[in-house]
Amino acid sequence: MTIWKKEEFDNFETTDVLEKSASLGLSHEQLVEMYRTMVKIRLFEEMADKQYALGKVHGTMHLSAGQEAVAVGTGFAVQKGDYLLNHHRGHGHFIASGADVNKMMAEFLGKDTGYCHGRGGSMHIADVTANNLGANGIVGGGLQLAAGVGLAVQMKKTDQIVLTIFGDGAANEGIFHESLNMAGIWNLPILYLCENNQYGMSANVAVVSAKTPFKDRAAAYGIPGYYIEGNDVLAVYEYVRNAAEYIRAGKGPVFIEAQTYRYFGHSKSDRNLYRTKEEIDYWKSVEDPINRFEKLLQTAKLIDAESISKIKEELTKEIDESVTFAENSPEPNVKDVMEWVYA
Amino acid sequence: MPIPFIMPKMDMDQEVVTITLWLKKEGDRIEKGEPVIEVETDKIASEIEAPESGILANILYHENEEAPVTKAVAYILQEGETAQDLPIPTSGIKPAIPEPAQAHTEDAGAKPAVSATPLAEKVLLKLNIPANQVPASGSKLTRKDVEAYIEKMQDQVAPRVHVAATPAARSLAEERGIALEDVIGSGPRQRVQAADILQISNQQASEHMVATKELMSTSVPMVGKRKRIAERLTTSYQSVPHIFLTVEVDMSRSEAARKRMNEVAEKNSQPAVSMTAYLVKVVAWALKRHPYLNAVLEGNSIQLLQNVHVGVATALEDGLIVPVIHDADLLPIQLINEKLRYLTRQARNGALTANEVTGGTFTISNLGMFGIKSFTAIINPPQSAILAVGGLMRKPVVIDDRDTIAVRPMLSLTLGADHRVVDGAVAASFLAELANALETPELVLY
Amino acid sequence: MPEITYREAIHDAMVEEMRRDESVFLIGEDIGSYGGAFGVSAGMLAEFGPQRIRETPISELAIVGAAAGAAMVGMKPIAELMFMDFVLLALEPLMNQAAKARYMFGGKATVPMVVRMPGGSGTGAAAQHSQSLESLLMHIPGIKVVAPSTAYDAKGLLLSAIRDPNPVCFVEHKLLYKVKGEVPEGEYTIPIGLAEIKHPGEDITVVTSGIMVQKSLAVAQKLSQEGISVEVLDLRTLRPMDNQAIITSVKKTGRLLVVHEAVQTGGWAGEVIATVSSSEAFDYLDAPMRRLAGKDVPIPYNRFLEAAAVPQEVDIEAEVRAIVSNKY
Repeated sequence: MTIWKKEEFDNFETTDVLEKSASLGLSHEQLVEMYRTMVKIRLFEEMADKQYALGKVHGTMHLSAGQEAVAVGTGFAVQKGDYLLNHHRGHGHFIASGADVNKMMAEFLGKDTGYCHGRGGSMHIADVTANNLGANGIVGGGLQLAAGVGLAVQMKKTDQIVLTIFGDGAANEGIFHESLNMAGIWNLPILYLCENNQYGMSANVAVVSAKTPFKDRAAAYGIPGYYIEGNDVLAVYEYVRNAAEYIRAGKGPVFIEAQTYRYFGHSKSDRNLYRTKEEIDYWKSVEDPINRFEKLLQTAKLIDAESISKIKEELTKEIDESVTFAENSPEPNVKDVMEWVYA
Repeated sequence: MPIPFIMPKMDMDQEVVTITLWLKKEGDRIEKGEPVIEVETDKIASEIEAPESGILANILYHENEEAPVTKAVAYILQEGETAQDLPIPTSGIKPAIPEPAQAHTEDAGAKPAVSATPLAEKVLLKLNIPANQVPASGSKLTRKDVEAYIEKMQDQVAPRVHVAATPAARSLAEERGIALEDVIGSGPRQRVQAADILQISNQQASEHMVATKELMSTSVPMVGKRKRIAERLTTSYQSVPHIFLTVEVDMSRSEAARKRMNEVAEKNSQPAVSMTAYLVKVVAWALKRHPYLNAVLEGNSIQLLQNVHVGVATALEDGLIVPVIHDADLLPIQLINEKLRYLTRQARNGALTANEVTGGTFTISNLGMFGIKSFTAIINPPQSAILAVGGLMRKPVVIDDRDTIAVRPMLSLTLGADHRVVDGAVAASFLAELANALETPELVLY
Repeated sequence: MPEITYREAIHDAMVEEMRRDESVFLIGEDIGSYGGAFGVSAGMLAEFGPQRIRETPISELAIVGAAAGAAMVGMKPIAELMFMDFVLLALEPLMNQAAKARYMFGGKATVPMVVRMPGGSGTGAAAQHSQSLESLLMHIPGIKVVAPSTAYDAKGLLLSAIRDPNPVCFVEHKLLYKVKGEVPEGEYTIPIGLAEIKHPGEDITVVTSGIMVQKSLAVAQKLSQEGISVEVLDLRTLRPMDNQAIITSVKKTGRLLVVHEAVQTGGWAGEVIATVSSSEAFDYLDAPMRRLAGKDVPIPYNRFLEAAAVPQEVDIEAEVRAIVSNKY
């Protein structure tokens, strides 16, 4: 059973949110907002799962329940206008970047009102005008695009960073090495965020990766790397924000590996044969990122049972409405099937 | 409201699961997230957790049964609800299959059974054809209807004659009305090429072109005749299967008739009736009675022509020309004679118009003036037959069954016919009747 | 009119456009001081500097991937691959990312990139450095594939390719680099998707591209003296293919021969023939449609084997004669 060794992390575990937020310059409202966003992601993923179980989703989905702290800690730490390249388990990151759940749900149901007019689905969801260059169906697909986007940012001399999020599986793709090498030689403004949730599809990361943690691989390309506890939302926020500042100052790329865990199977066909129920239960109970943050906020008296239930109620309503919106939305016109192949 | 316990879909292509074990029974309290059902697909066994807390009720699918996914398999009663609150179970009970629409229309607008004549019924039975497949021409299905139906079916089934031809050749052939079966292909495996079609078509076109040119003016001399004649006759000779039948006719009574006609003509200062004109009349009469000799073959069908236009082959210095007596069957011999004289004169002057040489349905070729006993003539396309007339010769012949010999004027007639259109017997029949009419001219008046 | 080589025409197109448009840059291996493996980018580093003449490690996957990423955010990268054979290392970003981004994202992304690559055999570079892989590239919707055969076409088409908002594969032929041709001074473009009749004829249409255009023209010249009139149709663009030009020509001549260096099986000649067969030109065919293509063999090293592996002038001549004389 996989249980991480906390002493290996570069970060210190957050125990006092008030202290931490003060040092990070985060307001209490922002803390509650972070909590709220994490709950939103969780509820959204659960609803997506439900829609799938009801047979309304054509295809499959890759759900990120359990990984909310990485999504929210990262999403809040970067600036609007920064580029985002995401992986196929990207609903959380998308929501944390401010996406509209109506358009997300509509896209999953293949409707014309979805982010991609129903052409992309869950795996290819994007908001190009907001500099979100999409979830990618190819593992590591975003790593190569990131090199190009970073190159463009450098040539245009803007202060954007390129946040490229990928999983532990992608770290073994060839493109990982080509991308990091290129970023290393050209000092590209890329934040490589490896969301390590312990498993590729079914393969445990330790079994398939020669030498972890992955920050050592970044070091091989001369890129500073960090290995942090991804379920500690404020730790994620801290490290990502510092990295973003470093990159914006033109000092080059940064690599952060955030350890986390996913509750649902890889996709909807996953029967969880490669891990035990005990393991899943452990993570859901002991290390759940939302529960941990909720407890810390309660201790700091920033939320209570009442506000928690109010938040959950509001978010449930918002997400229920997104389902209604999606269901009532029209399908794309079949006659338009050939649209947008060429510009 | 009781909450439906929906069987979740777990796989992309999944439609059912098999329930292996209900861990709880109706009436038990279940908690949200607690495993309640054990199920199996062809891949794997799983546990299904309760979606909500409450009392389990109304189990619709039992152990070892297949349950559909995304549908309710049971219900969960909430606080204060009883079995009365359960919706009438709709899932799991197959809805009554509505009557197929066809049944209704069959009842409503059913066609009444067709009655058939006894003979038609016999044929249908023998050939195992259901009566309602055959369209009836009247109120009763007749044998004719059945035969027409069978012919139609055969036409549809019978394979077309296959000719290898390139697409370009086919388009050209269709465009120009040329039957591919008539063309010898120059391509590999005797494939018909476009050039082959063009060659044939150009021949025809040049003739047609010359003819249409003349329509524009009143008298235009024909040119390049020799070449054209050669081409046409070659095609006819090569592509039409000729049969030849010869008969010798005793012309004494016809000659006597003609002599008497000429006496009248002289009295009225009219020209003497030539034998050719006389022959044209009798031939026209005979053609009316034997339509297959007055026909053209077009593609796959024989056109039996209503009008009889007899062409008379006329030899000129530079070649053969065939002026046509239109509606020869309707004209008295005197008029035929005048026309013939006129046409011959025009021909000699090279002044024939297009109308005067087109439209012929049968040709008579007379080489008698050269003393030719008999000969075979090549059919003038697109006609189906030609009559070659030899010279009138006084010969000793047996005139009765006592073997009495007399000298009579004998005329040799050789009929050339297109065997695709005219069988031997049909040709013989025509020739016999023609001979008969020439030997007994009164028959023509009948 | 001045005469320059095919290589110089490509060089000039890039230089002239990079002067006009700041967002255009060249990315590839050894394009800087070395001047490019085939000398195409000679002198460009000095004029444009290392930012815009961006020399890379040997990382074809990342070169094309980076080009795709940069193109998505407003740049106009030209990726140079040293040999067409190496595009196989970069098929994923080309076919999964660049070709599909616009469609998958509901029309909201554009990827205006060019991937230039020299292909073809005849230099003794053997199996892994001599392939003609355009049939693979043109199979993917979302990509355009261009293959010029002359210096004039190369310059005009490259300019169009750089300005095209779609990913364009620009296929060069190694043996054409040194071939001279008339190229006017000044800016001109040739539209992508437009074929050209390089030699008009009446008896047979030869549809071809790249170096086979040169060979077909030589054959056409020779046969014209014998009264066999060959129409040579240079496609210039393989995707989108100028079907109308092909159909019009075949309607005129009634005979079709497709000639390409790419391997026959799965080669684009089948595409042309299927297109003609399904068009109104079918009714005008007076002979079976035929193709002459590279043999199904990796390109050999030995020079005679190498020549035997792809169509040569004698092969084209023999095939044209056979078709015109109704041998098939």
